[in-house]
Amino acid sequence: MGIDLIFRIAAIGILVSVLNAVLNKSGREEQAMMTTLAGLIVVLLMIVKEIAGLFDTVKTIFNF
Amino acid sequence: MLLKLIGSLLIMAASSFLGVYFSKECARRPRELRELQRLLQMFENEISFLSSTVTEAFIKLSGYYESNIRLFFSQAAEILMHKNGINASEAWEMAVKENIKKTALKKEDEAIVLSFGKMLGASDLEGQISNIRLTLTQLKMQEEKAEEEKEKNKTMYMNLGVLGGLAIVIILI
Repeated sequence: MGIDLIFRIAAIGILVSVLNAVLNKSGREEQAMMTTLAGLIVVLLMIVKEIAGLFDTVKTIFNF
Repeated sequence: MLLKLIGSLLIMAASSFLGVYFSKECARRPRELRELQRLLQMFENEISFLSSTVTEAFIKLSGYYESNIRLFFSQAAEILMHKNGINASEAWEMAVKENIKKTALKKEDEAIVLSFGKMLGASDLEGQISNIRLTLTQLKMQEEKAEEEKEKNKTMYMNLGVLGGLAIVIILI
């Protein structure tokens, strides 16, 4: 965790949006959709551990 | 840290190179179509004004360009000279089928080139010339289509290469 992760996700977001624009401009809507989806999945994989940590914290707070 | 930097630089270089390569590659098809048209034009002059035989004309034409298109002509001439019992259209077909993989031409271009060969040597001079003209107009249309495609894809491949490399680097870091 740390500021590092946020920067990385921001960079991926910028990249995916640019890729999306490029692919859309050359008339490849399906591939543009696919890159967006791939970016989403990559980011989700990155933060899945953090989400699990969040749930653990919530659990310990309410003493489950 | 240094190792990471070197690695990411290598990845960036490789993917950018790939992008440039592909964008160069998609400029090849229109160029080859144009070359084929020029060669056919010369072939028409060759048989209508100089009235040379097909073999002579092919040998002459295959000396004009350096690209892979001339392989059609040189190979067909070679087949005509060295194999007995093969006529011009069969030789053309064999040469085209053997060398089409070395060019950037697509299936639809191949069909046009092969249909040109079907008429080769099957009629009088008038018929031959009109066959060449027909092939030329068809190739012209293909060239326009290929040019359009090239304009669309050229910048895209370049951008895709660089941005893809950047994406890999960011994910791996």
